[in-house]
Amino acid sequence: MSFTDRTSTGSTGSAGSAGADGESADRTSTSRTTTERTDADRARTESTPADREQRTLVAARAQRARDRRLRTRDLVLSIAAPIVLLVLWEVCARLLIIDPRFFPAPTTILAALGEMLASGELWEHAGPTLLRLLVGGGLGASAGIVVGLLMGSSRALNAAFGPLFSALYPLPKIAIFPILLMIFGPTELPKIIAVFITTFFVMQIATVSGVWAIDRKLLEAGTAYGATGFARFRFVVLPGAMPFVFSGLKTATGTAVVVVTAVEFTGASTTGLGYLIWNSWQLFIPEKLYVGLLVIGIIGAVLTTLLSRSEKLLLPWRRG
Amino acid sequence: MQPVDHATVVAEDVSKVFFSGGEPVWALENFSLTIEPGSFTCIVGPSGCGKSTFLRILGGLEERTVGEVTMSGADHPVPAAFVFQEHGVFPWMNVLDNVAFGLRMSGEGTRERHGIAMDWLRRVRLESFASSYPHQLSGGMRQRVAIARAFATGSPVLLMDEPLGALDAQTRMLMQEELIALWEQERKTVLMVTHDIDEAIILSDRVIVMSGRPGTVREDIAVPFERPRSFDIERSPEFGELRSRIWNLLREDVRSAEETA
Repeated sequence: MSFTDRTSTGSTGSAGSAGADGESADRTSTSRTTTERTDADRARTESTPADREQRTLVAARAQRARDRRLRTRDLVLSIAAPIVLLVLWEVCARLLIIDPRFFPAPTTILAALGEMLASGELWEHAGPTLLRLLVGGGLGASAGIVVGLLMGSSRALNAAFGPLFSALYPLPKIAIFPILLMIFGPTELPKIIAVFITTFFVMQIATVSGVWAIDRKLLEAGTAYGATGFARFRFVVLPGAMPFVFSGLKTATGTAVVVVTAVEFTGASTTGLGYLIWNSWQLFIPEKLYVGLLVIGIIGAVLTTLLSRSEKLLLPWRRG
Repeated sequence: MQPVDHATVVAEDVSKVFFSGGEPVWALENFSLTIEPGSFTCIVGPSGCGKSTFLRILGGLEERTVGEVTMSGADHPVPAAFVFQEHGVFPWMNVLDNVAFGLRMSGEGTRERHGIAMDWLRRVRLESFASSYPHQLSGGMRQRVAIARAFATGSPVLLMDEPLGALDAQTRMLMQEELIALWEQERKTVLMVTHDIDEAIILSDRVIVMSGRPGTVREDIAVPFERPRSFDIERSPEFGELRSRIWNLLREDVRSAEETA
């Protein structure tokens, strides 16, 4: 493709330059005699079609090259800016322009990260946090989606529980944690339940909105072609609600990371990245504090990216 | 090819009343209509006259307040296949699954329903788009999918609610030609709602002109042109006469619908 493109450019290229010569001759011939001008005119008309096409193509290529250069520049800027800031941080910390006790240099943090990885200390904290997120969040999201789908498709269920859930939703879930501690004691269970409740509410509300957002025409098309009961649910309601379900999952992930960190801040925990951050503050080990922050950030980013990827994979009809 | 089982649609004194605020609104009043098997009937009327409501009642998408509706094809898995104006195809299914949807719901096996659906895709010239999703198609192509889906059910009755209404004028004319050709091969019982008088004359054997709200039958006009038809009939004087006759019936109602809206 690009090869033929290039050869055709080459062959018309010579004709193009000849045409340009003819044109400049024409421009200088204004004061000359009529016969000379008609000659020049004839020369131009003969070379015109190929010449004009050539010039248009050259202009179009220049435009495309300009667009590409701008895209490359944006990419370079988006990568370079954070690196520059990190280097600046490093330099400032080393030169004591900023206090390295509060802002340890990035290399110091990385060294601490390496040390904690090697000693297994990091996993001691990252493991429990991941477990709480995945178990609590996974179960909470599943339950939220199921309840949301049921409430979205049953008028009676929604009438019964819709107002109740709406009233409970704005309650800060973290405020329930002491109650959970009181009931279940300082075990793993209340932490998982706190994450469960958080994701459940986000997903229940997102899924109900997803079902309600399905175009009425599509529900009617389902009815008109005989989709009733479970078939209607499987082929119309479920896929129709999926876009909202996925955007809900992304919101829920962010909220769940916040809640799990907060729960681990409390005295009820001696593991988890939240505990690591809190404890490092109390013992004043700033590098570890930053390591905790970094790792929890990475966990959130990885989960969100996984969700985006699986959305693209599972909902191919949304692509493009 | 199995013998095509045609159907008769009979509606007797169908009324539809809903409440807007405290006031009852009559969308349809004592609307009666009998449709011959294997005929193509168009309903035209001012907007808000209840023509779509009537079609939706026939298709089981809306409840009637009173009245009787009988369809002789009621024992078919899909008694009446509906074609919507737009957005009626499922965006999450590829073209083939969309066309096969009615068959899937009536319990047809995978191989059979895909065979029938492919056959219909060929007839609407979309066989190369079988695995595309609707968002990758143009508006006209999507409506061809919707029409193929309706025909593919094998239902004896097709109900079309302004199926070409959202298309641009030129695509629309192309689709009208294709629809005539498809229907002339199949001879299903078709009831179509349209606001386009030309379209009604070109496609149908019979045009029902409705009055403004509450909707009743103002006039029942037989369209005299021979089948198979082509767009050449548009140039005949009878066509012009018919068009102005229908327009004269509609003009006053369209104006008052426009002013009250």
